[in-house]
Amino acid sequence: MAHTPHFDLSDPAFDVTSDVVHAARDQQWYVETNWGWAVLRYAEANAILKDRRFRQGNARWPEQNGIHSGMFSDWWAEVLLSIEGDDHARIRRLLMPAFRNKAIAAMRPRFQALADELIDGFVERGEVEFVSEFAEPYASRIICVLLGLPEEDWPQVAHWADDLGRSFGISVAADLPRIEAALDGLHRHLDAVVTDRQATPRDDLVTTLLQAQETDGTLTRHELGVALVFLAFAGMETTRNQLGLALQTLLSHPDQWRLLGERPDLGGQAVEEIMRVNPTVTWITREAVEDVDLHGLHIPAGGIVQVLSHAAGTDPAAMPDPGFDITAVRPPHLGFGSGVHHCLGHFVARTDMAVALPLLARRMPDARADGPGEWLPVSGNTGPVRYPIRFTPGPRSGG
Amino acid sequence: MKVKVDFDRCQSNGLCEAIAPATFELDDDDYLQILDDEVTEQNREAIERAVASCPTSAISIVED
Repeated sequence: MAHTPHFDLSDPAFDVTSDVVHAARDQQWYVETNWGWAVLRYAEANAILKDRRFRQGNARWPEQNGIHSGMFSDWWAEVLLSIEGDDHARIRRLLMPAFRNKAIAAMRPRFQALADELIDGFVERGEVEFVSEFAEPYASRIICVLLGLPEEDWPQVAHWADDLGRSFGISVAADLPRIEAALDGLHRHLDAVVTDRQATPRDDLVTTLLQAQETDGTLTRHELGVALVFLAFAGMETTRNQLGLALQTLLSHPDQWRLLGERPDLGGQAVEEIMRVNPTVTWITREAVEDVDLHGLHIPAGGIVQVLSHAAGTDPAAMPDPGFDITAVRPPHLGFGSGVHHCLGHFVARTDMAVALPLLARRMPDARADGPGEWLPVSGNTGPVRYPIRFTPGPRSGG
Repeated sequence: MKVKVDFDRCQSNGLCEAIAPATFELDDDDYLQILDDEVTEQNREAIERAVASCPTSAISIVED
């Protein structure tokens, strides 16, 4: 009888993209882990994320790590990711106008100007530390624009969002002082913006939400604060990490990198293909709200299920030719999750990366890694911490 | 064949509009409107992709 593997998702050496995971996927659609069951195949992964017998599974994360009270656990209990039902639907709908496709598409020239400005800053050197010189300022300044913060605030916002990102890490309890300091800093900073918009309304997200609070009574001031801090946190780290992972994948396929530089119209498809094979959110967590029986597996109420997004995205049963190809059209990837908690900011991430990646490919045509860099474990939320790259500068505009 | 939307499930994520804009449109209040519910040979592929991409499985294709 074949040996049934058991994964330790929080082992820093465990890699969700490794052969061990692919081999387990050949045997069975799920495996047991130290943190619930991991789902490995596309069909089951896609179905579970949409299945309403499961809720988003991170709500109890602080208490599972021994954090039962305080600023962080209070905030976590109220963020969009943790809440369900009518409150979730109401707050999501209020935030929606800022994230609709048309609003984000109108920002393309701004994203492009920002990407060009950042590339101009390092291109002549023929080398770049990609995280600190491009991915982080790009993601962070876009969040500032969306939230109506002065763009020059970006280093501080990035710092807070980065510290707050540790709340998803396996050492959340040890990092608690930093996390709570970041939470407090972001709260105060955004509260000042809210107070300013009360006095001087603008055509922006904060003003719109204030109107929902003051005129319609559909949002409390407290909920407004919680939501804004959550958006800063959810939008910065994920996009920064995903941009780094995009480069990692593209640079290991030089033909695709070259093609993207020549065909900027493939930017959107490239983002989909990258998130299929190399997503930053490597597990998407669900908790059963009732007993569920699925294809031979009994999941009791309260049971935790982790959808492994890379394993699902590279499942040969769903992707007959799973090789990396930015011109291919695939079944929808699960990199933004799915179901009612599907990423609210997906058009922002899709659009800003679709704009940036072809510009980077054009101006760093022979880009290659300059040393190993420094990377987060390939489990949980992953990506580069430091990613030095060397290249011969390419032209700024086409021709 | 026609497009059908379960509006209790629709969350206005807008993926359908981005994929098949001739069929789906979000109005100014972000509620989904069906511009044309007819599934034809020309739009079938896009609509099937919109169905598959909907995070909340709110869209289906039904027999007339």
